[in-house]
Amino acid sequence: MTPILLFDGECHVCRRIAHWVENSARRQSGPPGIVVRPIGQDPAALRLLNPDLDIWEAYAAPHVLMPDGSMKRAGYAVAEVFRCLPNTKWFAGIFAIHMFGTQPFQIMLNAAYDVLADIRPLLGCESCGRPRPWVSPLVWLANQAKSLTGCTRKAAAIPHFTSLHKPLARVPPSAVR
Amino acid sequence: MKADDRSEDGITTITGDTFERMVLEGNGPIAVEFMSYSCAHCGAMEPVLQQAAEFLKDKERIFRVNIAIDEDLARRFEIEGTPTFVLFLNGREVGRMGGPSPDISSVLAELTQPFEG
Repeated sequence: MTPILLFDGECHVCRRIAHWVENSARRQSGPPGIVVRPIGQDPAALRLLNPDLDIWEAYAAPHVLMPDGSMKRAGYAVAEVFRCLPNTKWFAGIFAIHMFGTQPFQIMLNAAYDVLADIRPLLGCESCGRPRPWVSPLVWLANQAKSLTGCTRKAAAIPHFTSLHKPLARVPPSAVR
Repeated sequence: MKADDRSEDGITTITGDTFERMVLEGNGPIAVEFMSYSCAHCGAMEPVLQQAAEFLKDKERIFRVNIAIDEDLARRFEIEGTPTFVLFLNGREVGRMGGPSPDISSVLAELTQPFEG
């Protein structure tokens, strides 16, 4: 079995990263070192992959499902992806280095992942939730810049609400009630 | 996904096949959360909704519709985003709200006030 990277298929930032991982994995001869798979919408299907995998948790952070049944999440999942790809595995070993009882490079990677996760709303991912407090001023600035450039799409007007990407076509009431 | 998927969290997920019977032909107050697992706001709402469901279990039923799967239901109820709660009393819609603040007092107020008027 090959490690599986689960990604949020609704988040375009995540989709682009998953696409890059998939392309990189295909570059090596033989079977790919990792496969990518969108999380989907079926909690039961995810539990078939790993009984401990909760769908809400899967959407909260990237997960890599390992062949031995373990899971790696967030920054540790990123390190695992680097280890599995032919063009990044040469440096991925640094994340496993222990110094003074810690893994300093893994800690730095975790921090970098946290920053990326926090700024996803700034990159246009509305399904990724409310921006963290430290990102909010940046979101405000981005919205101001969009206004100045004539781009009218802004963050959701309702704070805890994810507007649908595509408005659903209205069904005439006579057809359904 | 099965038609009636009582997930381990205790809130029943209903689909287009069961919506009519469970909600529109249902008696008493019913709240339906139109949600999607990929919506982080729905994820933030989830533990609060579990608390609310436990608190209201003798007074009101709470169901969940996953709009990523049941897009027709989302169209039918003109859902513009997630989470949206649509409140029914004896099968008739009596209120709705989108994106309530994910804290228990706000959610309880939103889920009960439309039935008190």
